Amino acid sequence: MIRRALILVLLSAAGAAHAQAIYTPPPGQNLAGVWLIEGNHSAVKTLNGKLPPMNETAAARYAAAVRARKAGHPDFDTIQTCRPHGFPRILFAAYPIEVLQESRQITFIHEVHHMPRMVYLDLTLPKLEDMDPNWMGQSAGRWEGDTLVVDSQGFNDVTTLDSAGLPHSTEMRVTERIRKLDANTLEDLITIDDPKTYTKPWSTRVTYKRQPGARLKEYVCTDSNPEAQVSGLATLASP
Amino acid sequence: MRMRWVVCILGCGAVVSAAAWAASSDVVDGPLIRPAVSSSDPRDLSGVWFIRLYNRQINSTLGRIPPFTDHGKAEWDKRVKAEKDGTPIADASAYCWPHGVPRVMNSPYPIQIIQTAGETTIVHEVAHNIRHIYMDQPHPASITPSFMGDSTGHWEGDTLVIDTIGFNDRTWIDEVGVIHGKQLHVVERIRKIEDGHALENLIRIEDPEFFRQPWYARITYAWRPDLRLSEYVCEENNRNMPVAGHTVAK
Repeated sequence: MIRRALILVLLSAAGAAHAQAIYTPPPGQNLAGVWLIEGNHSAVKTLNGKLPPMNETAAARYAAAVRARKAGHPDFDTIQTCRPHGFPRILFAAYPIEVLQESRQITFIHEVHHMPRMVYLDLTLPKLEDMDPNWMGQSAGRWEGDTLVVDSQGFNDVTTLDSAGLPHSTEMRVTERIRKLDANTLEDLITIDDPKTYTKPWSTRVTYKRQPGARLKEYVCTDSNPEAQVSGLATLASP
Repeated sequence: MRMRWVVCILGCGAVVSAAAWAASSDVVDGPLIRPAVSSSDPRDLSGVWFIRLYNRQINSTLGRIPPFTDHGKAEWDKRVKAEKDGTPIADASAYCWPHGVPRVMNSPYPIQIIQTAGETTIVHEVAHNIRHIYMDQPHPASITPSFMGDSTGHWEGDTLVIDTIGFNDRTWIDEVGVIHGKQLHVVERIRKIEDGHALENLIRIEDPEFFRQPWYARITYAWRPDLRLSEYVCEENNRNMPVAGHTVAK
């Protein structure tokens, strides 16, 4: 015990000798810390609590997804086979998120699937047609006062927006307005613009609570999910 | 002859534009011009780095082969033989599990170091591995063994010293056959070298079950401000998914 205390004293003395340049954001813009979502967002609704304005094709896909989930065969759901949640679904996951804040980049580390999301503050998003679609898209952010505004695009169309099965296309653009409501509450106002799927842009809102002193745990989906192994073998066997 | 020229003109054009496209997609876009070397602050390790002289067999400073115990040597021989026989034994990465430490520090993919108050985080492009290194903290009194272990960090002068324990025994140290048990203790000493153009990681590896004595590996990484990490999803289409513990040839 004494030895441990001594080591800590020595460490802090060494730390004082050289100042390490760690970026400190202005207090209002400081989003750093570990956050956990409030409420259940497995079936995402609009700000008015309604189903998002789906076009006919999307409504049919959504209904099929809901039926499949009810029947116990949600094959549409990528996380069944340990593939990523995709964006923005990962924002609705009931797992902690750690925010790492630098002057030019804000990184969101999601405990679930240990998935990072980089929000670059010095990036102009390429044109959608120049982007290779992927699971998390690409994100560019900027500050408007104390609100972090993040534009994301460049998604594949394999994922759904929520666990229930809201669909989206590769043309989806997501805009987030992220701000602190108070020191311990983070709000993300999310707007989905996907004319191929929804008749008009729509928004939803989530809040997260600060988890003081929390550390992200190691989450390894492929270690605990035998279905993923089966899926891998199936992939291997099929052409 | 003329026909060949036509082919060459079209073909060469395609090659040139493909190369230009590949290069431009890696270049940092935006209003900020980033410097060619890391900042002059010796403790500012933040940014993207890329391994140099990558070798799938870990480069022990003692010569190629670490000082194995009989058990360590037998496990090495078994893996080398299985690979030679065309049925390699699958390591953690083949299952899309986290790669472990120091294995993840020896991957031919970029890494990004992020320094925030109380924590140094390393995000690895490969399989989106993430290392959380908590600064100036003792290890927790009780640790559940994990793929990436429990890491604490502190500065000794301008060297970041990372101490990692609490591993499970399901990752390897390299991609050939150096493996470890739960007693693995890794100490990394990371510092800037070559006027900020590169990072050196001197890795001390200790595990009395597999090695007769602690040994060292030295890995360096180039400063790569021109790169951003790309998405790498092992789980999407794992063509190397092991069957009965062995990686299956395609």
